Amino acid sequence: MFAHLIQDPKPPQHITNPAPPEAVDAYGQLTKLASTFHDVDGLFYFTYGVCIFFFVLITGVLAYSVVVYRRKTPDQPAASNVTHNTPLEVVWTVIPLIIVMVMFAWGFKGALDMTNAPHGARQYKAVAKQWNWTFSYPNDPVQSYGELWLEVGKPAVFMLESTDVLHAFYMPSMRVKRDVIPGRNQRVWFQPTEIGQYHLFCAEYCGDDHSKMYAKVHVVSAEDYAKRPWDQWDDANPAKGGEARYKALCSSCHSTNGSPMTGPSWKGLFVKDGSGAIVGGQREVFVGGQKQTITVDEAYLIESIKNPEAKKSAGFEKNAMTAFPDLPDREVKGIIEYMKKLAEN
Amino acid sequence: MTTYVPVEETPNETGSERKNYLNWTSGFWSWAATLDHKRIGIMYLVGVTIAFLSGGLFALLVRLHLWKPEGALFENADYNQIFTLHGAFMVFLFVIPAIPGSLGNMVLPLMVGAKDVALPRLNLMSFYLWLTGALLATLAIVLGGFDTGWTFYAPYSIYTDQAVVTIGLAVFILGFSSILTGLNFIVTVHKLRAPGMSWFRMPLFVWALYSTSLLQVLATPVLGITVLLVAFERLYGIGIFDPRLGGDPVLFEHFFWFYSHPAVYIMVLPAFGIISELVSVHSRKPLFGYKLIAFSSLAIAVISFLVWGHHMFTSGQSTYAMFAFSFLTFFVAIPTAIKEFSWVATIWKGSIALNSPMLYTLAFLIIFAIGGLTGVILGALNVDLHLHDTYFVVAHFHYVMMGSIALAFFAGLHHWWPKMFGVMYDETLAKIACGIIFVGFNITFVPQFIMGSQGMPRRYATYVPEFAPYHHWSTVGAMILGSGVALMVGYLVASLFAGKKAMQNQWGGVTLDWQTPTPPPLENFHTPPKVTSEVYDYSTLDLQTLRTPAN
Repeated sequence: MFAHLIQDPKPPQHITNPAPPEAVDAYGQLTKLASTFHDVDGLFYFTYGVCIFFFVLITGVLAYSVVVYRRKTPDQPAASNVTHNTPLEVVWTVIPLIIVMVMFAWGFKGALDMTNAPHGARQYKAVAKQWNWTFSYPNDPVQSYGELWLEVGKPAVFMLESTDVLHAFYMPSMRVKRDVIPGRNQRVWFQPTEIGQYHLFCAEYCGDDHSKMYAKVHVVSAEDYAKRPWDQWDDANPAKGGEARYKALCSSCHSTNGSPMTGPSWKGLFVKDGSGAIVGGQREVFVGGQKQTITVDEAYLIESIKNPEAKKSAGFEKNAMTAFPDLPDREVKGIIEYMKKLAEN
Repeated sequence: MTTYVPVEETPNETGSERKNYLNWTSGFWSWAATLDHKRIGIMYLVGVTIAFLSGGLFALLVRLHLWKPEGALFENADYNQIFTLHGAFMVFLFVIPAIPGSLGNMVLPLMVGAKDVALPRLNLMSFYLWLTGALLATLAIVLGGFDTGWTFYAPYSIYTDQAVVTIGLAVFILGFSSILTGLNFIVTVHKLRAPGMSWFRMPLFVWALYSTSLLQVLATPVLGITVLLVAFERLYGIGIFDPRLGGDPVLFEHFFWFYSHPAVYIMVLPAFGIISELVSVHSRKPLFGYKLIAFSSLAIAVISFLVWGHHMFTSGQSTYAMFAFSFLTFFVAIPTAIKEFSWVATIWKGSIALNSPMLYTLAFLIIFAIGGLTGVILGALNVDLHLHDTYFVVAHFHYVMMGSIALAFFAGLHHWWPKMFGVMYDETLAKIACGIIFVGFNITFVPQFIMGSQGMPRRYATYVPEFAPYHHWSTVGAMILGSGVALMVGYLVASLFAGKKAMQNQWGGVTLDWQTPTPPPLENFHTPPKVTSEVYDYSTLDLQTLRTPAN
């Protein structure tokens, strides 16, 4: 009944082996577990059962008392004035104590399993910044933004980095959550057991678009994983890749509709001239403290991506921009193609 | 207990007008500059009610916004401000001060048989500190608001471009209000108990307020220091929490929860105290396990200092820390469970009056059972790693804060309302409102348990569409809950103008607060009371006082 919560109805075209429909407990509360952490669900349902037992006990006694011992005349005294029953008090102290100690030991054991990644787990990196995720793959220069691909059955350990504030890496279906803390090395691991698509949320409040800080996680077969589906760069359509990079890296400070954010809008970087050809627009920039007007061209844009302090847009000269000196050339080109495409709208 | 002194025999009663604390003087300054604990209690009551209604309004806006997955009303940034305002107003301006400030001030000196609290001027100062804090919090909204969540987690609270210093100052001042109230109650309990009132003859509401006061005095300074450090970090960049300056944001979490976990018990212990009183009075039966309840209040106060790390299981603290914090968290469940069982055992074979205070009490017992038991689920380490920062946690602490503490406050308010004002509200409306609040509350928060266990993160302005049905239920429930609260405020205010006279001893209580005229005279007791019997001994109840109208 909850299968729709974790299944995307339309998997992307290049995934050849879409997940089979999943059976979920009709009465269950948790989403379908898709990692090896069975203990979480086992303990959850155990404590849930214990809670229901005590809740029924308490409300049962209350309901019975209210019906049977209800005051019928204003002066009616209590049916009993007993204030102690030592055996009863010992029982209701000791039995809950035993139960919670079982829960404690069970939970601690489960948490230890979730702390220690097995040897040979694949090492990924997840970088969190307001408000998106960037993923790096083992021995692979190509990163993915807002989407992640994992191989089913292979333990994955994530190095977590934050470039600004607190975030948290949370995958409900895998039962893992770990805070991403600037300046601290955090890691989290899990072993996906089912092919499918899953949510990755940011679970620690991180500002305006906290709720939009989302990534889709594809767990795919070994065969599909070997095709490196995260490398979606299409040389025939670089603007598409550029737009993806824009959304992942640039959109928190630069709009495309003309409204100023922390940085200048990209609207008007390129404009259409009288004949409909796309040409560079005019910008006022500070170069070494001197204000001058330049015509936007590729050299200026490449410089501004790799070394943003060289020329600062007027009105934004006091705001520091993150530099991207290591962004691969094809991605820089893709972003510029995307900027040109904006002029067509 | 003391012999009840009928008003007719009061020696210092002159003229036809019977004077009580409400009508012995009038005019603005007779209230604004009063040193009378009862009038200060009523000023607190007005203040915390306004704070509660504002916080409730923010809650309704939050729920309305979440009607649509993409958000129905606000920009994300505005939503973040509104949920922050809801949390900050409710926690700092309502839940922490509500019961000690209003009902505690009103009832504690009466219950111990004192003329007033030990330090009446300090008491008035506490109120004005509260008022200053409340005005500053409101000013912070005018100055651009704040969007940090009520937890002010660094480094976001350091980087965000909003009125964090102003609200931090407000929290700092509110903290002092809380500390001074606690100090006052501690001294009052130690020094001003009536002759014959030994520690184990104190009503349990007094025990609960005493335990609360210890926590307020010991834990609140840490909060003050923490918000001060955040302000210094923002103003001067001292580099204690800001990782860019070599600070540690996790240190902030430690500082914050070192206060804020005990603060949970600062909030809930007074509620436990009210419930202990009410189950006894309305079952007309001595409390089952009196000493165990009293000691469990103290045990909770001590252990609550040692469990703060359970708010940080996902922050990557060491395995040893997780071990200790999880163990102690489960341990604190035991005294809490003992209280719940003792209340139920008190009702068993009682003489149960189903009036509105008792209905609120029964609603508390059911809701608190859920709130407490779901806390046990969250104490389990690996389960918490899944549920932390989801709507499951949100639902859990609303079952405790709103469903338990606010309901206990309502229960106490209905219980002592006739004592405070000498009038009765409309009992039928009160029972209906209690039912609406109970139903609305559960419709609001049960869906939040379900979506939380499925992974809905908290503090989300937008959400994935799968969760929409649960959010719809929750929003509908919040509207029902809100209308129940509106009805309650309506009939309570109406009773002040058109309420029937209450009885001298409306419910048949035997603690000292019911042994004095209703409403009480300025000095509380016409003759200083002496305590000669055990607490909650209903054989001493003078049934005539149940039928004698209030003055």
